[in-house]
Amino acid sequence: METNETRKTLLEVKDLRTYFKTDAGVVKAVDGISFKLSQGETLGIVGESGSGKSVTNLSIMRLIQSPPGKIVGGEILFEGDDILKVPESELRSIRGNKISMIFQDPMTSLNPFLKISTQMVETILLHQDMSKKEALKKSIDMLKLVGIPAAEERIHSYPHQFSGGMRQRVMIAMALSCEAKILIADEPTTALDVTIQAQILELIQELAQKLDTAVILITHDLGVVAGLCDTVCVMYAGKIVEKANTDELYARPSHPYTDGLIKSVPRLDKAQNGKLFSIEGQPPNVIDLPPCCPFHPRCSRKMEICTKQYPPVVDLGKGHEVACWLYAENKENSTDE
Amino acid sequence: MIFKKKNNTAAINEFNQEIAGNSLTKDAWRRLRKNKMAVISLVVVIIYILLAVLAPILPIYPYDEIILDHQHLPPSFTKNAGELLMEKRLADLYTQAWRQGNLELTEEEDDMLWEWIDSNEVNKVWDYMYEKGNAMVAEGSYTLSSYEQRRIDSLEEDIRTELQITLKDVWYRADSGSERVKLTSLDTDEILAAYAQLVNISAEDQKTQYMKEIEQQVLREIKERTPDLSDEEYEILLNQEFNDMSESRLNTLIRSNVLVKLNNAIRSVGLRNLKDAAEDGTMEFPLEEEISISETISATIKASKVHERQYYLGTDYQGRDMLSRIIYGGQVSIAIGFVGTITSVLIGIILGALAGYLGGKVDYIIMRIVDIMYGLPYMLLVIIAMAIFGRNILNLFFALAIISWLTVSRMVRGQIMSLKNQEFIEAARSMGAPTRRIIFKHLVPNSLSVIIVFSTLRIPSFIMTESFLSFLGLGVQAPFASWGSLVGDGVTGMTLYPWKLFFPALVMTIFLFAMNFLGDGLRDAFDPQSKNQL
Amino acid sequence: MSEKEIKKPLLQVRDLKQHFPIEAGFIMKKQVGAVRAVDGISFDVNEGETLGIVGESGCGKSTTIRSISQLYTPTSGSVVYNGLDLIKAKREELLDARKNMQMIFQDPYASLDPRMTVRTIIAEPLEIYKKRRMLEPQMSKKDIEDRVEELMERVGLNRAFKNRYPHEFSGGQRQRIGIARALALNPKIILADEPVSALDVSIQSQILNLLHDLQEELGLTYLFIAHDLAVIEYISTRVAVMYLGKIMELSRSSDLYKNPLHPYTKALLSAAPIPDPVIERKRQRIILTGDVPSPNVERVGCYFYDRCPYKMEKCKTNIPPMKKVDEHHEVACWLYE
Repeated sequence: METNETRKTLLEVKDLRTYFKTDAGVVKAVDGISFKLSQGETLGIVGESGSGKSVTNLSIMRLIQSPPGKIVGGEILFEGDDILKVPESELRSIRGNKISMIFQDPMTSLNPFLKISTQMVETILLHQDMSKKEALKKSIDMLKLVGIPAAEERIHSYPHQFSGGMRQRVMIAMALSCEAKILIADEPTTALDVTIQAQILELIQELAQKLDTAVILITHDLGVVAGLCDTVCVMYAGKIVEKANTDELYARPSHPYTDGLIKSVPRLDKAQNGKLFSIEGQPPNVIDLPPCCPFHPRCSRKMEICTKQYPPVVDLGKGHEVACWLYAENKENSTDE
Repeated sequence: MIFKKKNNTAAINEFNQEIAGNSLTKDAWRRLRKNKMAVISLVVVIIYILLAVLAPILPIYPYDEIILDHQHLPPSFTKNAGELLMEKRLADLYTQAWRQGNLELTEEEDDMLWEWIDSNEVNKVWDYMYEKGNAMVAEGSYTLSSYEQRRIDSLEEDIRTELQITLKDVWYRADSGSERVKLTSLDTDEILAAYAQLVNISAEDQKTQYMKEIEQQVLREIKERTPDLSDEEYEILLNQEFNDMSESRLNTLIRSNVLVKLNNAIRSVGLRNLKDAAEDGTMEFPLEEEISISETISATIKASKVHERQYYLGTDYQGRDMLSRIIYGGQVSIAIGFVGTITSVLIGIILGALAGYLGGKVDYIIMRIVDIMYGLPYMLLVIIAMAIFGRNILNLFFALAIISWLTVSRMVRGQIMSLKNQEFIEAARSMGAPTRRIIFKHLVPNSLSVIIVFSTLRIPSFIMTESFLSFLGLGVQAPFASWGSLVGDGVTGMTLYPWKLFFPALVMTIFLFAMNFLGDGLRDAFDPQSKNQL
Repeated sequence: MSEKEIKKPLLQVRDLKQHFPIEAGFIMKKQVGAVRAVDGISFDVNEGETLGIVGESGCGKSTTIRSISQLYTPTSGSVVYNGLDLIKAKREELLDARKNMQMIFQDPYASLDPRMTVRTIIAEPLEIYKKRRMLEPQMSKKDIEDRVEELMERVGLNRAFKNRYPHEFSGGQRQRIGIARALALNPKIILADEPVSALDVSIQSQILNLLHDLQEELGLTYLFIAHDLAVIEYISTRVAVMYLGKIMELSRSSDLYKNPLHPYTKALLSAAPIPDPVIERKRQRIILTGDVPSPNVERVGCYFYDRCPYKMEKCKTNIPPMKKVDEHHEVACWLYE
C-alpha cells in the first residue's frame, strides 16, 4: 500500500457538497467529503442506500440533474484540473474518455435498439481519432479482453441477446475501450447472481491491473470490498465516517458504524448461533439534519457531545481517518456507560 | 382506554424533529396547489359549476322567455332594452331617409356607405347613420318628417307603458266583511260562480260551454290516437270515453278550463289598470302588489316595464336573454360532461378491471368487444341512437356514455395488469382475499389517480361531442339550450349579430381550457416522477 | 438444533412441478413449450424448523414458494399441509390451511398497498377472515384494533404510527409491517420470500434477529428463501440448494459449509464474498463459466451438466436422483454414486 502514496494522484475530491432541493427541504446528499485516488488504485465506497455514495460518483462525472440537484461546494481535481470549473465541451472529452462509468443495471445503460457494434464503435469514434474499421477491430479486441466468446460474431448482436452477466461485460468493455484512467463502477454486481458476480469482480480486478486503471467501486456489500479494494471509504448520511486501507479497516474498525456494519453481516466462515449483532434504529432521512453526528441515535457509544456537534476527522495513523468523537482529543464528556 | 389514542404524540424522529403525517392524496394536493395555472383553472371550474347549479335562484331572466320585440338586441351594460330599441328605430329611420334621398350626405360619405352595404357590413351603416342623423337633427340640417316623428313617438309610448305582468296569487272575498281566501282553494262551482260574476255570464251557460269545449278536446285526442275513422265511429268512441270518465275527472277538467279563463280575464283587467297607471306615471315600476279586479276578486300581480330590461350579453333571434341562456346552456353542457364521464368511467372501470385482473377468456372477450366497437364510427352510432330513441337530453347522455367507456376500460385494464403482479396483490391473494376485494380495495384505489386525471381530461371532450351534436341540430332542442346549440344558433347571421356566436363560444372555450389545464395539473400532481422530485 | 429434527413434518412437498406454458398463435393459441420453473422437487418442512432454499435468480425458488401457497396452480405433484393436499383441496379447506400459512415478501416497497394505512394493512387478513366467518374466536372491531397494536409493538413499530402510510417508512420498518401482517392470523408456518435481500446491511440483521426471536417465542416454522448463502446459513436448520428448478443438495446448514458435496454448492460457496480481506485474498475460487441455461428445455441429463467442472459421460444422459449420503445429507450428483 505504501507504493500508492508515492504514485501520482489522479483524482482528488476536496470538501464536495451536493445538495438537492425538494419540497420537504434541502437534502444534503453529499456533505463535505474528501478523498484521493492514485493511479492504479482501487477505492471502495461503502454505504447503505441513501448514504450519498451514488451521488458522489455522479458529482464526479458532473451528471447531477439540476434542478433539483446542485453541487454547492468543493473541488474535484482530475489531473490537477477542477472538473467543476471546466466548460461543458471539455467535460465531454473527460466523461467516457478519461473517466468512464459502469452502472448497476446493464440493461438500462445500453440502448436496446442498437447493435453492440454500433454502440461501441460510436463511443470509440467519439473520443478517439480512428477509422471505423479500426474502431470495430478495437471493439472486438475489447470484447475478447472481457471474455466474451466468439466476439467477432457476438458484436453484431443486440443487447437483449446477451445475458445479464454478459451485458455487464459489454459495459465494462465499452467503459475501458477508450483507455480510461478511472473506472467508476456503481454497484456493478448488485443485479447479478453470486457466481456471475464472482466472474465480474475477477474481471474488473484483472483489467485494472493490466491497464493500470484506477477504480472507484461503489457498493453496499462489505464482502465485495474486502476482496477487491486497496482503500475503503465508509459513508453515512452524506459524510465519510471512516477511511482506511482495507486490511486496516477490517482489522481495526474504529467508527462504531463501521464496526457494527462488519459485525452485523452473517458470515459463512464462522458458524453463528444465537443472535446477530445489529445496529438499532433506521438510517436517517437526510432532510434538514441538525448539526450533530448523524449516527448518534443508533450509536451504542454515544456521548453528550455527539448530539450537538459534528465530530472532527481524526487521523489514527497510516492514513486511517475516522470522524468520531471517541477519538477526538478535546472531547468534553465521557461515555454515558 | 388503549384505543382512541392521539396519533401525533410520538411523531418525532430520532433527531427530535417532528415528522408530519402525509398521505399520497395530501401530497398530490400540495403539489397541485403549487401549480398556478391549475389552481386558477380549478377556481374557474368551480365558478362555472356554481353558476350552473345556482342558475334557478340567480337574478336572471328565464332562459325560455320569448319577447319578440327584443330580437337581436346587442349586448350593453349601460343601456336598457328600450334605449337600444330607440337607437335601432332612429338608425333605421335615418337610413331609410338617406336611401329615399330625404337625408343628404356628401359624396364621399355616400360612397363609403354603399361600399359597406356591398360588403354586407350593415351594422357599420346603421352605426354611422345613427351618429350622423342625430348630429344633423341637433344642428338642424335635417328635420324629422311627421311620419318619422309619429313612429318615434309610438315607440316612446310603448317603451313607457308596455308591461310584463305575472299573476302570483288570486284572492276571493265573498263579501266585504269576510276573510279573503285563495281562489285555488275553492271548489269548482264556487270558481265558476266567481268567474260568472266577473264576466256577467250565468254559471249554467258557462258549464255547457265548457262541456262542449272538453268534448272537442277529447275528440281531438281520439283522432290523434286513432286516425282514419268515420264520424259515427268517432261519435261512439267519444260517448264511450265520456261514460268511462269519472265525475271527479270531469270536474278537474272543467276546473282547469275555468281557471285558465279566469286568469286570462284577470290578467287583461290588471294589465289595463296598470297601463293607465304607467301612462299617468302614478306608479313606480317594477312593482309587486295586490290589485282589486272586481268587488270579489283581487290579485297579487308582479309587473315590470318590458323595455326596461337589461341584456348584458344581448338577445337571440327570439328576444331571449343570452346571459341566462348561456348559464342554463352551461348547466346542460357541464351536466353532460360530468354525467357522461362518470357513467363511462364506471362502466370502464368495472369492465376494464375484470378484463385486466381475470385475464384469459374474460379479457379476450371484453377486449374484442372493445376492439369491434372502436372500429365503428362512433359519431354515426350516436347519431343513429339519437335518431332511434328520440332527441332528448337523457338519450344524449345514454348515447355518449355507451360509446365512451371503451378508452376508459382499455386504460384501466392496462393499469390493473401492471398492478396485479405487484407483491401487495400477491400478498392479498395469499391471505385468501376474494376477487372483489382485490379489485375494489387494492387495484382500483391504486389506479384511481390515473382515472381521475383521465376523467378530468375526458370532460372537455364530452362537452365538445355534445356541442358538435347540438351544433348539427341533433342534440339539445329548443327551448333548452346548451353551449353547442347556442353556438349553432349564433352561426346564422354571425356578421350581423356577432355576440350571439361570440359569447357562448368564449364561455365554452374558457371552460374547456380550464378543464384541460386542471387535468394537466392533476396529472403532474399525481405523478411526481414527471416533476422535480429526488 | 438436533432436538428439533425429531419433530414431525408439517409440510410435505412431493415431486412438485410448476411449468408455465409458452403460447404462440393469434386466435388459436397453441402451447409451443414450457418454462420449467420448478421441475420436480420434494422436501419436508418439519415443525419448528427453518428450511432454507438457496439459489441464483431463475432457479425457481420464488416459484416454489408461490406454488406451495397456491398463488400458482402447480402442474403436478403434491403439497401436503397437515394431512391435506392443498392442490386438490376444496376452497374452504384451502382457506383454512392458508390461515396457518402466511407469506412475507421480498420487496418492502411493493408488498404493501400504498393507498392503505399501516392499520388497514395489518388488519387486512383479520378482516378477510372475519368477513368469511372463519375467525375463531370472532373478533370485534376493538379486538382487531387491539390486535393490530399488539402486533405493531411485537415487531418493533411504534403504535403511534398506526394511521400512517407505507411510503412514510423506511425499508426495514416496512418489512416489519409485512411481518406483522403475516403474523396477524397466528400462522404455524411462514413462507418467507427473500425477506431481507432488499434491505441494507444494518437493517438486514435487525430483521433476521426479529424473525429468529419470533420463531422462538411463537414456535413458528419457516420456509425461508434467499440468494445470500450467509443469510441462509445463519437462519436455517436445513438448507436446500436449488438450480434450474431442481434441488441439488439438501443438508443441515452446519454441514453445508463445512462439507459441501455437490459441485454447484461448492462453486456457490466459493463465489460468495467474505467480509475479511485476509481470508478473501487467500481463498481459492471455483469460478463457474457461462450463465444459467434456459429453463425452457426439457433435460435428459444432469441439470448442472453445462457448467459442471467435474462432468462425466454419465451425467449427460442420466438425471441423478437424490441420494442420502448420511442421515441429514442428500445430494443429487453421480459423483456420490
